[in-house]
Amino acid sequence: MSGSAARPALDRVQVRVEGLARAFNGVPAVRDASFTVGPGEIHGLCGHNGAGKSTVVKMLSGQLTPDHGRIAIGGTPVELPSRQAAQRLGVALVDQELSVVPALTVGENMLLGDIDAPLVNRRRTARARCRQILDGMGLEHIRPDQPVTTLGIGERQLVEIAKALSQNARVVILDEPTATLSDVESAHVFAAIRRVAATGCSIIFVSHRLSEVLDLCDRVTVLRDGSTVATTAAEQLTVDELIVQMLGETPHRLAAVAKPATSQAYALRIEGLSVPGRLVNFDLTARAGRIHALAGQLGSGASDVLRALAGLHPKATGNVRLRDRTVPYRDPVAAARDGIAFVSNDRKTEGLFLDKSVAGNLVATRLPHLGRGGVLRPGREQDAVRSIADLAGLPAGRLREPVRALSGGNQQKVFVARCLGRNDVLALLLDEPTRGVDIGGRAAIHRLLREAADAGLVVIFASTELEELLELGDEIITMRDGRIVRRYQGDADGSALMRDMTHGVDQT
Amino acid sequence: MSRAWLARPERLMPVVSLAVVLAAFVASPLVSGRQLELFDAYNALQGFAQLGLLALAIGITMIAGEFDLSVVGTYALGGMLAVSAGATSPLAGVLAAVAAGAAIGAVQGGLIAGLRIPSMPVTLATYIALLGLTNVLSGGLSVTYPNSDATLWVDKTIAGIFSPRSLVTLGAFLALALLLGGTRLGRELRAIGGDRRASRVTGVRVDRRLVGLFTLSGALAALGGALLAYSYASANPDPGLQPLILAAVAALLGGVSLAGGRGAPLGLLAGALSVALLAQIVVTTALPDYSTQLLYAALLAVIVAIESPGLHRTVDRIRARRADSPRRYPCPKP
Repeated sequence: MSGSAARPALDRVQVRVEGLARAFNGVPAVRDASFTVGPGEIHGLCGHNGAGKSTVVKMLSGQLTPDHGRIAIGGTPVELPSRQAAQRLGVALVDQELSVVPALTVGENMLLGDIDAPLVNRRRTARARCRQILDGMGLEHIRPDQPVTTLGIGERQLVEIAKALSQNARVVILDEPTATLSDVESAHVFAAIRRVAATGCSIIFVSHRLSEVLDLCDRVTVLRDGSTVATTAAEQLTVDELIVQMLGETPHRLAAVAKPATSQAYALRIEGLSVPGRLVNFDLTARAGRIHALAGQLGSGASDVLRALAGLHPKATGNVRLRDRTVPYRDPVAAARDGIAFVSNDRKTEGLFLDKSVAGNLVATRLPHLGRGGVLRPGREQDAVRSIADLAGLPAGRLREPVRALSGGNQQKVFVARCLGRNDVLALLLDEPTRGVDIGGRAAIHRLLREAADAGLVVIFASTELEELLELGDEIITMRDGRIVRRYQGDADGSALMRDMTHGVDQT
Repeated sequence: MSRAWLARPERLMPVVSLAVVLAAFVASPLVSGRQLELFDAYNALQGFAQLGLLALAIGITMIAGEFDLSVVGTYALGGMLAVSAGATSPLAGVLAAVAAGAAIGAVQGGLIAGLRIPSMPVTLATYIALLGLTNVLSGGLSVTYPNSDATLWVDKTIAGIFSPRSLVTLGAFLALALLLGGTRLGRELRAIGGDRRASRVTGVRVDRRLVGLFTLSGALAALGGALLAYSYASANPDPGLQPLILAAVAALLGGVSLAGGRGAPLGLLAGALSVALLAQIVVTTALPDYSTQLLYAALLAVIVAIESPGLHRTVDRIRARRADSPRRYPCPKP
């Protein structure tokens, strides 16, 4: 289904990319990318991690110059040596990484780097314009003079998208704009994208969420190994066909299997867990060997459950017992010592040491077990690294590389694997375990979690993605506004979960 | 001033530090037993003039997430050049100093932006090189400034408490406050300090801004050095590290964060005034010299505590623990 009512003019061309190529240190990232985008068209750009999408986006937005190939906008071949040059030619960008500066206010961020912003500030006009743009994105509650640090990650992303869509551009590139957004927020973004496209602007939309791509886009170009595989009208594609184009083969799909409770003894009991302003009276009895899924959009309290258990909410109250011991859940170090491992939804700032080696990251949380008297024993460390890397299916040849050099999927594997294979971890908590991870990496991480549960760990994860919740959750708890909506024991379906998460009714 | 306005550390810290020090200044007769005179305020402002431009120079680089250590070298060189080039025309001396400071800053900014290297090693090297240069220029001795008219003029009392030197310094603060507050440059400077990658991606000309910033910081430091040399009627080839430390203290009291991305010229002004007033308080109350340093340390400790996230967290934790632990003592009924 193609979203816009007025058909975009696909016979005309506004952006033409021809034979684009770019290498880094002799290693080609993009070999031969070619596609065209018509005025008013929403064009999807898909590919496995490392297929070259981001490099193409960087060349189109003036952050990288191509080695070969041509870019034409509005029929004229263009050079894009800088972001300013690209802006002047009407290219707006939402970068893959959040590019909102925390030190500034919302309004200042919306003006930052905009070549049309006047040198001398005009506060009143600027504020009025920001107000209008924010309202158009459903952000009536955000004030332009509010510091960005008072917003959540999702709201910051919305601010950035709103800014790009408001720049009166001829081409708007959105690189994974919805990766951090809940479904409701995504719906706002899609509506705004369609409005902008209806004015004749070309949209290039990069996303890992394939059903989203098929819903929103008119045509989809798939890249594999740096080259264009095909450009196809979205209505002629299914998610499976798209995956085949991306991977070049039919991938193995996980069967949805909800395991019944095998043991009646509880391993983790949570009673009346509350966090002021975020979470109200959360109860859960988690049994070893089962995977418990918390389904909730941003702000539903799902990730607050995990953060409170991991000791990251100092104001949390309630009773938590893990195998008959009270968990001191107000202190992250004590929580970790008592067997709670937490994988946050932000591996870059709350998880991995990006500049350290993969090996160093894998053993970072178990250093006390690898030495004596505070001195590491290299032999033991090596053994530990090898066994975890095996367990997680990480490429053995890359263990000495910095984590930064790995793809998002492999980074996340490192993050998860670090908590596994340790006999001192009793409960594994994961917030959005596969955020920004491609399909292959997702399946591998899901397998890891299932194995961890089979090995007797309590596994609790929070997610907003329906497929993931259904595939992985033995018990699914839907949440909204800090409260539990409903509990499903393997009898959930996507539409029910969606209904609970968006229009939930408090059962109690 | 509403509470929300004050809640941001770049406003709270300069307001608090200036208020504390002003209160102490006004209360100082209680210790000294001597009434405050206009002259005390004049002296404090002279101290401010000595330190202010240096604090401004280093503070604006800190806002952009850099740290210009070379300012003390430029400060010394500025004095030296002004004294040698300005014997007949003081203005020519100042211009020579400012031009040299700007040129040095531009080269440093070009290196830092073009090669993407951190400012600390670059400016440290420049600092050492400039000290060597001023020693070569002066033969290692102080150079006296023969133009006594200029010396008298820069410290001439205006309206009881000001002098041309302190007014120029104040003017520089106000001009920068207008420039950074009224144009997109201030926003871009804070963005560069807050998140450089994001600034580049959104289209801020990061490299140009850095070159401009270091040029400005060099020029300001040289101007400060020139005015000081005129006032002392001599230029010192090595001012030591004290000016650098005081300037950094002033910047921190002024609400600038070491991590970058936060601060404004008016905050820096309050920070520099606080440091100068504190020094004056020590003088009027005839406290021993070392107490100045102890007071700076105390003031800094208070400021750091105000914005420490670890402290906020601990307070929250203690409160939460109190709230749900059973009360040991019954609350008295009102």
